Amino acid sequence: MPTINLGPASRRLGGVLLIAFLGAALVFFVMRAGHGDPALAALGDQATPEAIAAFHKRWGLDAPLVVQFWRWLSGALVGNFGMSMTVAGGVPIAGLIGSRLPNTLFIGFYAMAIAVAISLVAGTVSALYHGRFIDSAATGIAVLGISMPDFWLSYVLVYLLALGAGIFPSYGFVSPGDSLAGALYSGFLPAFAIAAPMAASFTRILRTALIDTLYRDHVRVARSLGYSGAFVFVHYVFRNALIPYVTVLGLQVRYLLGGTVVVERIFGIPGIGALLVDAAFGRDYGLVQACALTFLICVLIVNFLVDLLCAALNPRAT
Amino acid sequence: MSINRADFTRRDALKLAAGAAAAGLGMPWTLGSAIAQQSATLRAGISGFNVINTLDPMKATLIPEFYVIYGAFNALLKFNAKMELVPDLAESFKVVNPTTLEFKLRKGVKFQDGSDFTADDVKFTLERVTDEKNAAPNRGKVAAIETIQIADPYTIRLVTKAPFAPLLNYLTNTRTATQIVSRTALKSMGDEAFGRRPVGTGPYIVKDWKSGESLELVAFPGTFSGAPKIARVMCPLIAEESSGMTAILGNQLDLTSTAPFADIASLEKRPEVKVLKQAGLNTRYIALNNKKGPFSDIHFRRAVSMAFDRNVLVKAVLFGEGVAIPGVLPPALWADPKPVFGEYVTYNPERARAELAKSAYKAGTEATMLVWGSNWWHRMGEIVAGQANQVLGTKITLQATDFNTAYSRAKAGDYDAMVMGWLGFVDPDEYLGEIVGSKGFRNIHAYSSPKMDALLERGRTELDPAKRKAIYREADMLVSDELPVLPCFCSNIHNLLRPNVKGFVQLPYSNFADQFGGMEVG
Amino acid sequence: MRAFFANKLAVIGAAITGFVLLAVIAGPWVLPHSPTEADFLALLTPPSLAHPFGTDSFGRDVLTRILYGARVSLAVSVTGVFAAALVGSAAGLVSAYVGGWTAAVAMRISDLLFSFPSFVLALFLMVVLGFGVANIAVSIALIYLPLFARLARNMALVVKEEPWVQAAQLMGQSTFSILSREILPNIAAPLFVQIAIGIAFGIVIEAGLSFLGLGVQPPNPSLGTIMADGREYFQRAPWVLTLSGVAISIALLGLNLLSDGIRDIMDPKLRARL
Repeated sequence: MPTINLGPASRRLGGVLLIAFLGAALVFFVMRAGHGDPALAALGDQATPEAIAAFHKRWGLDAPLVVQFWRWLSGALVGNFGMSMTVAGGVPIAGLIGSRLPNTLFIGFYAMAIAVAISLVAGTVSALYHGRFIDSAATGIAVLGISMPDFWLSYVLVYLLALGAGIFPSYGFVSPGDSLAGALYSGFLPAFAIAAPMAASFTRILRTALIDTLYRDHVRVARSLGYSGAFVFVHYVFRNALIPYVTVLGLQVRYLLGGTVVVERIFGIPGIGALLVDAAFGRDYGLVQACALTFLICVLIVNFLVDLLCAALNPRAT
Repeated sequence: MSINRADFTRRDALKLAAGAAAAGLGMPWTLGSAIAQQSATLRAGISGFNVINTLDPMKATLIPEFYVIYGAFNALLKFNAKMELVPDLAESFKVVNPTTLEFKLRKGVKFQDGSDFTADDVKFTLERVTDEKNAAPNRGKVAAIETIQIADPYTIRLVTKAPFAPLLNYLTNTRTATQIVSRTALKSMGDEAFGRRPVGTGPYIVKDWKSGESLELVAFPGTFSGAPKIARVMCPLIAEESSGMTAILGNQLDLTSTAPFADIASLEKRPEVKVLKQAGLNTRYIALNNKKGPFSDIHFRRAVSMAFDRNVLVKAVLFGEGVAIPGVLPPALWADPKPVFGEYVTYNPERARAELAKSAYKAGTEATMLVWGSNWWHRMGEIVAGQANQVLGTKITLQATDFNTAYSRAKAGDYDAMVMGWLGFVDPDEYLGEIVGSKGFRNIHAYSSPKMDALLERGRTELDPAKRKAIYREADMLVSDELPVLPCFCSNIHNLLRPNVKGFVQLPYSNFADQFGGMEVG
Repeated sequence: MRAFFANKLAVIGAAITGFVLLAVIAGPWVLPHSPTEADFLALLTPPSLAHPFGTDSFGRDVLTRILYGARVSLAVSVTGVFAAALVGSAAGLVSAYVGGWTAAVAMRISDLLFSFPSFVLALFLMVVLGFGVANIAVSIALIYLPLFARLARNMALVVKEEPWVQAAQLMGQSTFSILSREILPNIAAPLFVQIAIGIAFGIVIEAGLSFLGLGVQPPNPSLGTIMADGREYFQRAPWVLTLSGVAISIALLGLNLLSDGIRDIMDPKLRARL
């Protein structure tokens, strides 16, 4: 998998800001090109033309698009995203995002942790026992895992483990801010549903990368110099194999953040994904923009961190 | 697959094991914010909806908004379990003359902020809705009121220009906007803040509301109907109706506001939930553009109407949870068990083809039907279009979209046909007047019939219930004759309860929080 | 070719994919039912000889619908991914080998698309563009475009330094011929792997969108719409959701094994450098 080198950090930061800006502009203009009107969502089926006009005036929707964009941008630059129009009429958007983001991040990290834990064990074991039964079994399970779309797995888990066996709650989520143990417990099924396909792809990458490095020259040299197998594995093989692994981890964040949308809905997790769906359907323009920007920034931060981590792991990288 | 079959011994053993493990790890069984433990808390899920825009009765339009408003407010009147009008904030009322209603108000009633309820609050509430500047969606329901006279702090008179028969129904705690708000609270808080933390006289105070997520209600001990027994109600907003069902089956909820049609039969057999159901006050139809395209031709409308079987719709869309209707009035409105199906609303392929022959539009005619919402709405469109195409050889295609797009297109006249429906109205004028009246808010069909308008006008001014009923019957027959919309069916309404929940009385207009005050969790 | 048959994963993957393709292409001819033919006297009947996968809420044969639905899902996904592969790889190649400001801008646009979570991008496009098969394909294409652009660019940057490419340059070959004859063949294998993975994931995206009610228009079935429908009456007729879910898993399994296999057979040197 490719790594991206974009030169010095300052240039990188500039690129990040540029992309965030372009992304915001794209969402802003594309959203308004579509059908629909927030006034209908907020005022409902009986809204009179006067009420709709008043609503448009109240939210500045009667101004030219460029003016509206400038208003939004100048607010957003100082962290003021304005108020929600329809999803939560009159509530500051920043507060809404602030209350939802921890849930999405929690489920994301939780799923990532499960996927990483499974893949580290399964990937290492199958690489060490390369070509033997345990390797085939692990690979087989991994491929099965990636072949279960998360929402389909969610239903299977709810019916088997929640309603069938009664081990986990069938619905609902405790915010990590209220109770960490409660969040870990109530978030397990959704996190697992998201984690399973990821764990599968991580396992495959780690296995391939480990097998690859096991046969490289410097590893053979280290072995022939008499270093112990375990030492060589940890210091030379594993460290090198982690680079593609971490890169793929970073790439998966793009799927992870999006993939939570459906699962959040099935399990009733109040996350950003569910908020974005509501906002898009309610034509809550400001909220859509803020949610999209939040996702965008999350992805950009993760990409940045992955690059740093890869550089740290690989002393030869520039 | 036998996942659903209860395997009690194994399941219980696993539960015990999991319980022991959780206890050992110090895991709380409480599911914190959205869904909390039993006992002093009722967990009442608003299922199938997750958007609530406002809790200000004047601005509210969506059914989930009213679910909550019912419990935070009272109106002058309400419906009892037999759907009879009874006083609520009014102590009594009388018809002084055909244009004047007098209400004696209850004394000693407190608002949730501690202020006293008087005739002034009633006047303020009604004037707020009628004031054109406020552009209240339900303004039409009370616009007939010309003057509001306060005789003394506990007597109020409403005077209309002409007799206005629906007025009493429009003063109930239903989807009316006439729930009484506190003038002092509203003035001090301002409109927007009031919409999020409303102040009424009802048994429950809205303590917290996380948009798209949940609401927390706490009991208002000072409510005039007696302190509620349940201290706290958590209302999670559950977008997926099926998730609401799995939540109550998994004991994460005590009560739901709806249930999936398909699962009613199997839920009725399960011991862990109780299913409440009855014929609902709602109407579902295919809205048609009467101004352009094939549906502007009455013969084409009649042909399509005769080309699909409404009983099949009830079976395949509602899984039997409803009845076919010949017009837009729900039979439950007047306990009318046997609606009359005229020729044009009865499935008859031969007559349908003969009718098509009279139309300017022939077989091969193309039209688009917009569908939106959850799957059963899609199925409804699919069957109507599929059967019509099969019988008539037309080419009606479906286009799936979201409600906002569909509705804004319909409002702009940019559509041929669309699945449509309304829920929870208590007066015939809300159905006929608003859907097929030429000035009706819900008339997205560009349908305008002097005959219909004359009937509707008579219905609004006729105070004798029996005569009024006959007028609306006639108007509904006119719908089955001219078919400005294609009437389809009326569905049952459902609530799911855990067996230990007592005191919820289901009413056909889809009530909810109004019952919390009298409920108990055993 | 010999390497391919020596690789067990690839063979199994190819066999499953072949089976799926055969079933999807030939199945509807063999089966006696039509996917839209309703039978309101046989609603939600459990699997039987006449209907091996049972019937749905319209009394339609679920097996027939799954096979037709898989056609639609596959077609949508394949169209989207191939469009992305064509445009994305071309942009990546040109930007790596030729450079220039247009290429830089193209890569920036691709970076921008790449920064949106995939499903969020799809959902957003569906709400704005409207629902329907064509728009799903567009969404899938836009999700995969940046991936192919990056992959092609990064690999081309590596291959460009190889002696045989340098030699071709010295011999005065045209840019187009170097790109198409020297570079593309050497980076084709990873692109094919990505195409197979992409098609699998495209099926998941289609299903997810349809699951949220944003997908293919009724009455045409897709795997996602069948699952969404089955979810609604899962208590009553579990076979619809279960069997369509199993069908989707088999299709994905085949594609994933196949892509794994090709990856294993790929030039190990090239893979090591990626």
